[in-house]
This record gives sequence, structure tokens and C-alpha cells, in this order.
Amino acid sequence: MRIAAFDDGRIGIIGNDETVVEITDLLQAYEPLGPQDLLPDLITHFDELRPELERRVAAGGGRPLDGVRLHSPLTRPSKIVCLIGNYREGTDRPIQILDLFFKSPEGISGPGDTVVLPPHQANIFHHEAEIAVVIGREAKDFSEAEAMDAVFGYVVYNDVSARGLGRSGINSFLGKSFDTFAAFGPWIVTKDEISDPQSLSVTVDVNGERRQDYSTSDMERPIPELLTYISSVMTLHPGDVICCGTNHQGLGAMQDGDAVVTTVSGIGSFTIHVRDEHERAWQRGVDRAMAEQVRAGAQHPAAPRSGGSAS
Amino acid sequence: MRLVLTNDNRIGVQQDGGMVDVSSAFDDIRYRTSADRMPRVLASLQERRSRVEDLAASGERVPLPGLQAPVPRPPKLIAAFGNYREGSDRERQVQDMFLESPDSVIGPNGTVILPNHPATIFHHEAELALVIGQRSKNLPADERALEALAGYTCAIDVSARGLGRMGPSRIGKSFDTFTPLGPAIVTTDEVPDPQNLRVTMTINGELRQDYTTSDMEYSVVEVLAFITSYMTLVPGDVLLCGTNHQGLGALQDGDQAEMTIEGVGTLAVSVHDPQRREWPRGVDQEMAARQRAVGAS
Repeated sequence: MRIAAFDDGRIGIIGNDETVVEITDLLQAYEPLGPQDLLPDLITHFDELRPELERRVAAGGGRPLDGVRLHSPLTRPSKIVCLIGNYREGTDRPIQILDLFFKSPEGISGPGDTVVLPPHQANIFHHEAEIAVVIGREAKDFSEAEAMDAVFGYVVYNDVSARGLGRSGINSFLGKSFDTFAAFGPWIVTKDEISDPQSLSVTVDVNGERRQDYSTSDMERPIPELLTYISSVMTLHPGDVICCGTNHQGLGAMQDGDAVVTTVSGIGSFTIHVRDEHERAWQRGVDRAMAEQVRAGAQHPAAPRSGGSAS
Repeated sequence: MRLVLTNDNRIGVQQDGGMVDVSSAFDDIRYRTSADRMPRVLASLQERRSRVEDLAASGERVPLPGLQAPVPRPPKLIAAFGNYREGSDRERQVQDMFLESPDSVIGPNGTVILPNHPATIFHHEAELALVIGQRSKNLPADERALEALAGYTCAIDVSARGLGRMGPSRIGKSFDTFTPLGPAIVTTDEVPDPQNLRVTMTINGELRQDYTTSDMEYSVVEVLAFITSYMTLVPGDVLLCGTNHQGLGALQDGDQAEMTIEGVGTLAVSVHDPQRREWPRGVDQEMAARQRAVGAS
């Protein structure tokens, strides 16, 4: 099943005829405090709601997808957990120690939205296409065998990244938490529709030019292992999202006027636009230096390590 | 005014060891979980302030009941990287911050549980915490920024060292129970100068950290201006202003940890380690020396 947010606060199911059937009314029963509660409520009560959702989709009468305005299906997750470099990227290096950071959940953008580049003096703004996992239930300390029980579904993610900001020596990730820098779309696909999340194709096209193009089969730590580790650290909640990391081979600049299409096979595709009031210009095409740096084992591209400072 | 959140989700104004229940000032604000409540209360506090003060002045004072963290699961939990001069005469470091798991928060008299992860040590970091009251973006680095604040509270940023690969790892600060917070949100009018507060941390009665917020590299208003140049802050967000690393030490099984910020409050928690690992007691002098050397020429 594909679940979308559309037309300012409505939730719908995508039918096979590429229409969207609104189900927002079903979620009012849970007395949401605001739009941010709709998706977590749908996820929490999905098993009991599913027969009615399926009945409505079968009944048809949805609105054509090209006649609605889709939004990020995640309105305001309680956590966005992002893996740091989790692909082999053509190397035969040993699997790296797992590490992660948190992205600001205020920074969400979605299909058709505009990512706004801030005036900060970044070296470059990169797109990072990823598959992301949407959590289905409150969970802590589960085993790898139980990990997929905690999954609700999948969504396409672009981890927009400003490079070169922040303090050297502390591996700054704040350049990923500007407002609008967490792009999710086009809808959530429930896990039953994805038979193998480790064999999906992930691509980014910027103004029609192919940049990233990789398979989730190259992940260093597959989804059940990631989730199990994260659940040993923190409690997960319905609607939390775990972003599985990107393959840096194929990253490139995002700049004023760009249309960036992010796609994961079996999930979907969405476009974000880029606006930069300062109209800064970077070289177009793939950032080869970054790609080489990561293949060479850079722990954190474009952020030199020096000294070292605790927080 | 000192706002507290009781274990049964009542809003109180703390007074002289007791509390007056002022929940009725917020009766119309719906909530579903304790985590929902305080952000909504804080967002409405300015317009209800006189009603809350009337209730606090006229209501019955009761002994202070068990408290939750004043914001049990903040919308965002943001922490400043090393933000104190620590006795060095270095140039100010480049300002930087990171996000922690909001599920790491526990309240006064809670228990920090050390996880079965191979940390080299678990440190206490006593910090001044800012609690946001107004939705904010692009705040100026002057007194006007303080209008975004609901108030101040105490935080212990418990830190597991040596995890992850990209130190200092966010994982080590994001374990559940690793951010004790509270006991009260002390409104800004009660803290005339946030840059002149003494912060102390004791473990089993032994003084470890003892520093003043006058040593901050980037002041409270600069912290607010910087973070809002990146992201929108919302009511209930919590910002930790960084610690002074001179005086950090190990937390271990059975420890009673207590931090005090002069004029803000005292926050006490206990520590439990199911693995019963042991570290040297007292101040971690190696960590202290390393931090003094940061930025030294």
C-alpha cells in the first residue's frame, strides 16, 4: 500500500489506477492534536484500519494524482536518524564502525517543494539520495530476527548537505540540518510491497543529467542490522525515520534553479527545486574529488580532521 | 516563576520546597501524552502569565510531588560543542552544535542506565539548558533573542566516549536516560544575567565540575542566533549550552550525581550499570588537559 500526504494536511492511499483516495476522516477518531499526528496515528492503528483502507481503494473514486499537490509523507517525525557512510562504494575495505547523526525534523521538504540554500559560506551543497525506513511501532532493544517487525515501510530520501561548515576536528553535521534540507517523497510504501529492500536501484537526476546511480545491495550494514543497533541506543516511535546512508559516487552540486529528481525503484520518484538568493555557481556534473576521497577511505569528506575536541 | 511538570501531568509553580497547582490555567490545552503537554503550555505562557501568577499567589501550597523532566521528550534536543574557554587564552573556536535523541531525557531523581556498549568511560557534563517558548528563526545576537526563551533549567549531558567512528560520536550522548533535565523551567525574568551563573556537579558528595557561565565562548544570545540561522526552533525545544570539561569524571554503578546552577536549581539522579564496570573515581585529569590544549598554539 502507498500512503501519501496531499493538499495541505490530507492523507490518502494511492490506488493502482494512479488516483489518491482520501482517508483523513478515518484518522479523526484518534483525536490528533495537529497534522503531525495523522501519520503516526495511521501507522499505529494500521492493522485495524487496513480492511477499511482496502475497501475504500477498491471502491475507487479517488482523485487523479496529477490533480493533487503531494507533500512529504512524513510531516514532522519525532526523530530523523541518519547513517554515516554505509556503502562499500567499490572498495574492498573492511566494514566500517557504525555511526550516525540526527537531522533536524523541522527541516522537512517534499515533492515539488523548494530547497532553499542559506547564505552560509559552504564549500558546496550536495544531494545525497537514500532509501529510508519508516518505523512502525514503539520499539527498543530488539534482535535482528525481530527487526523487520519494527518496520512500517520505506520512503525516498534526499539528505541535502552543506559541506565545509562548522568546527574542524569534530565532524560537523549541522550543515545537513538547515530548514528544507530533509527531502522525503513521494509516498510511503508499506514493507509488504518490497520483497527485498537490499536490491533496489537509487538514482538522482539533476536537470535531466544522471548523477547518483547505485544499488542498495552495496550497503555495508543491511537494514535489520542498522535497526537493531539503533534500538540498542534509543527508543523508536511510529513515524520515526532511519535514513540508510548514501553512496557518495555520483554526488554533485545543487544550485539555484536546479530540478533534482530522486528515485528508488519499487518506491517512487519525486522532484525538488533549488533556490539560492545568492546565485552561487559550482561546477555541474559529478563531484569527482568527493567520490575519490570517499573511495580512499575519508571518514568524513570535505571536513578535515584536526586536533579533536569533545563536546 | 519556576514551572514544573508532575508525574501525573499537572503543571505546578514551585515555591519554597512546595508547589502550587496551576493546571487550571491550561485546562483548554489538549494533550495526549506527557511529552505533548509542556510545549503547548510554554507556547501559551506569555498570554496567560498573569492568570498563572494569580493562581500561584492564591492557591494552596502542597509538598513538591514527584516530577518529570519539564519537557519529557523535547521536539528537538540540541547541544553546543565545547563552548567554554576553560582557562585557556585561545581564540574562540568556530561555533558548532549537534542534535541528540530527544528520547534520552529523564527527570529529577531518575536513573541513568549505562548501556552494554563498549564505551571507554561514561562522563557527566553539567550544562545550562535553554527551553524555547516561541517559534523562532534568524534571531539577532542580542537581548531580543531572549524573548524566544521560556526559561532555563539544568541538564546533565551524559556522554559515552569511544563509540562510533567519527568522534565525538552522537551515539554516545543519545542513549535513553542520558539527558537528565530539570527540575523546573525558571523563567527568564528570574535570571537577570545568564552569563554569571555558577555551575557545580557533585558525585556522591565529591565536588567535580565547578565553573561559571561567564566563561562561555559564545553567550546564550549567540547560541540562539547561531542555531536559528540553521533551523527553526519550536516551543519545548531544549538547547544545551555546552560544558566546561575541567572537572569531568566517570559515572558508574551506584553513583549519586547532583548538579546545581545558582538561581536555577538542583538536579539529582542516580546511576545504574547492570554490568557493574569500574573506572577511577575523581576528576578525569587527562580529559581536562586535552581540552585545555584545544586551540593552543
